[in-house]
Amino acid sequence: MSGTPDARRERSRSRVSLFAQGEPMLWLTGGGLAVALAMIAGLLLLVLVKGVTTLWPMPLEQFAQRDGTTLMGEVTREEQYAPEDNSTEKTARRRLLRTGNFDLTGEHFQWVADSEIQEASRPEWGAVVERTSWGRFYGVPSAFLLSGKVVSEKPEEIWALYNQHHGHVRARAAERRDLETHEVGRINRKLENSRLALRKVERRYGDSSPEYAAAQGECEAVGDSMREDYDRIRKAIDEINTENAAYQVRLRTADGTEQLLNLADIVRAYPANRLTLAGKVRVYFSRWVEFLTAPPREANSEGGVFPAIFGTVVMTLLMSLAVVPLGVMAALYLREYAKGGAIVSAVRISINNLAGVPSIVFGVFGLGFFCYLMGAGMDQWLFSAALPNPTFGKGGILWASLTLALLTLPVVIVATEEALSAVPNSMREGSYACGAGKWQTIKRIVLPRAMPGIMTGMILAMARGAGEVAPLMLVGAVKLAPELPVDGVAPFLHAQRSFMHLGFHIYDLGFQSQNSEAAKPMVFTTTLLLIALIFVLNIVAVRLRTRLRRKFVTGAF
Amino acid sequence: MKRWNEISMNRTACRLGACIAMVALTLAVKPAQAQVKVDPRLPEYTPVEGISGTIKSVGSDTLNNLMTLWAEGFRAMYPNVQIEIEGKGSSTAPPALIEGTATFGPMSRAMKNQELDDFEKKYGYKPTALKTSIDMLAVYVNKDNPVKGMTLSEVDAIFSKSRKKGHKEDITTWGQVGLEGDWASLPISLYGRNAASGTYGYFKEHVLGKGDYKDSVKEQPGSSAVVQGVASDKGGIGYSGIGYKTADVKAVALAREAGEEFVAAVPENAYTGEYPLARYLLIYVNAKPNTDLDPLQREFIRYVFSRQGQQDVVKDGYFPVPAEVANASLEAVGLN
Repeated sequence: MSGTPDARRERSRSRVSLFAQGEPMLWLTGGGLAVALAMIAGLLLLVLVKGVTTLWPMPLEQFAQRDGTTLMGEVTREEQYAPEDNSTEKTARRRLLRTGNFDLTGEHFQWVADSEIQEASRPEWGAVVERTSWGRFYGVPSAFLLSGKVVSEKPEEIWALYNQHHGHVRARAAERRDLETHEVGRINRKLENSRLALRKVERRYGDSSPEYAAAQGECEAVGDSMREDYDRIRKAIDEINTENAAYQVRLRTADGTEQLLNLADIVRAYPANRLTLAGKVRVYFSRWVEFLTAPPREANSEGGVFPAIFGTVVMTLLMSLAVVPLGVMAALYLREYAKGGAIVSAVRISINNLAGVPSIVFGVFGLGFFCYLMGAGMDQWLFSAALPNPTFGKGGILWASLTLALLTLPVVIVATEEALSAVPNSMREGSYACGAGKWQTIKRIVLPRAMPGIMTGMILAMARGAGEVAPLMLVGAVKLAPELPVDGVAPFLHAQRSFMHLGFHIYDLGFQSQNSEAAKPMVFTTTLLLIALIFVLNIVAVRLRTRLRRKFVTGAF
Repeated sequence: MKRWNEISMNRTACRLGACIAMVALTLAVKPAQAQVKVDPRLPEYTPVEGISGTIKSVGSDTLNNLMTLWAEGFRAMYPNVQIEIEGKGSSTAPPALIEGTATFGPMSRAMKNQELDDFEKKYGYKPTALKTSIDMLAVYVNKDNPVKGMTLSEVDAIFSKSRKKGHKEDITTWGQVGLEGDWASLPISLYGRNAASGTYGYFKEHVLGKGDYKDSVKEQPGSSAVVQGVASDKGGIGYSGIGYKTADVKAVALAREAGEEFVAAVPENAYTGEYPLARYLLIYVNAKPNTDLDPLQREFIRYVFSRQGQQDVVKDGYFPVPAEVANASLEAVGLN
């Protein structure tokens, strides 16, 4: 069909020469790189765009519908659909309105079809109120109340009064929080400790012994002395509460219901349709600050993710602390001390295989070995008074870090071995020739030169560990653990505590959130944050490596 | 205590109806779009001193957000109580209670006999179930789906390959449940929960008559994931707690038998017991009979059954329990 044998040979020769020149492979490899870059850039761009825009304040729309109801809220997205009844148009638009006011209506969001809208407007004074509970409230301010008496009914004045008082009220609320956390916390801790001490005595001597009676008396004495303190703090808290309760603002919703809100329950409020660009930027950044520094509220759908950021960082650091020394020691033995042979080869192959084991398997192992076996054993031995409440016999940040350390161990061992084998033998021999021993040579000659490679292993391990979620779900990452694993109460590092993790938080927001419509955009914001965090951890490690390299590698061959 | 565990779920539903009927009268009948009210006879929670320690809850995903809300409310009063919540499915609760790794085991179904026995083997008594709130297991379809209602046997024929409820044919397209036009030929796409979920078990027992799910059910890791799946799939159908409803899905009205009126998934119907898939959401605790509860456990349980705790139930989209049920649960653990 395709011509004479000569012509065919001609064509095949030209193909061979093209391959010989390498042109098609150039295009192929270049294309591979382009596709990889496009995918990574696309993913990052999606996360970046969605994550960055989520917290931007939107205008407040009011729709009067044909069925007589009026809705007010922020438009979150829109779509085209095929309407059922009126066949005049093929497709129509409808918009998803975040209507808030869940305590009044039982709905967070509502779809509004364009054909249903009689009149659309943007109420000038419409306010977005972010509350500590029940989610957002949308309404027009109708009065500012001081101790139950109406002070003003003009929107401008209400806003002025709100701005004047809100800061103080929130500051007092924070002060109350402080009293509750630290003062009442201190008392409760003492009482709990004395109760546990009593339990201990009861377990040792039985509850009819004289020791028990003495301990009981002591326990009661502690209780009495604390009671006075407690009453004093309670009184201070009550005073703050009454003072704060005096400030109220009344809002009228789109359907005309009037609702009183306490200023103390308002996190942030702004007249959405009167905001200037500067005002919007202010709201935007204030939301970011809250997102980064506050604990979550309302079953994680609002507030911030600070405990999750903190938990992720602490866990990653603990994991590095555990995995790097262990991994480096193992690699040193394998490379420097062990004589090559079948066993060493088998160990190497096993380590490489370990890297291929699915991470959830490590999770199951961690749960069974660390939590149920070691943790429960430690509870029996050290914390028996607190039983049946487990102390270490459940998931916690220590167990999670150790589980991830196991998971990333192969990475560190392999990288360290590579780094060690890259150190030229002539240097070792030079060292021996000068009379140095084996360990002296390793310490002074081999390790410093291998350090950058070891750091690379650590960076890889950290990146892998910080992004891992599946095993953590079994060994300690939980939906809510606002108590940080490191705090100001002795012994400062609470290794038994469960913790929140950004990766798990993303999973929780995406798949388990009750108000999933509101949680979805937060998935992107949290993802952005996790990527940024891993990026920062990596940059720090890379900088460290560069400094080490400069320090040790100068004067190389 | 025993009694609460042993009543079959069917009888629970009847008791639920009978017991709440009177309360339903006291609850003012609200227009369709209004929030449920908490029983005013429930006590206001007042904090006591000396509460400290760690609460660990392992169990239901349906109750996950509710547990979190309770934890937040409780912590507002006792800031240095540590509360850790894990919600991967009701089936994770019994082992955690038995191992002692959890103080509370929230479950969206009752414990199976096997699970009760395992617990009893270790401790010598059975765990106590507390009826904390009421859920309606809703069957969700896409918001554009015009279906008016379905009978349970139709739902069974959609989800199950064994069709224990006796529907005459397998249902695979929307035309078979009476939709017309474009919808008639649209295949039904199934969303469900994974096997660790109590919702999965409840649905299997009460809708499928213990039959088997079809292999084509797309199993999701969370209640919210089911709703989101249905939201983005025009021909989708799935089941999940009423608290996870969004604007993108519609809860289908259900009827027990063909010919009966369809009952919508609205609060009134849960309280009267007319809605066929109303259930209690439970918390299991390890309460040794005739012994005082740990103060921390005691106060948390008191909080759950207080006005504030039940207000959190409303906040999460479920329905609060009336005072009678709350008192019965409190008595079961020696409170009140």
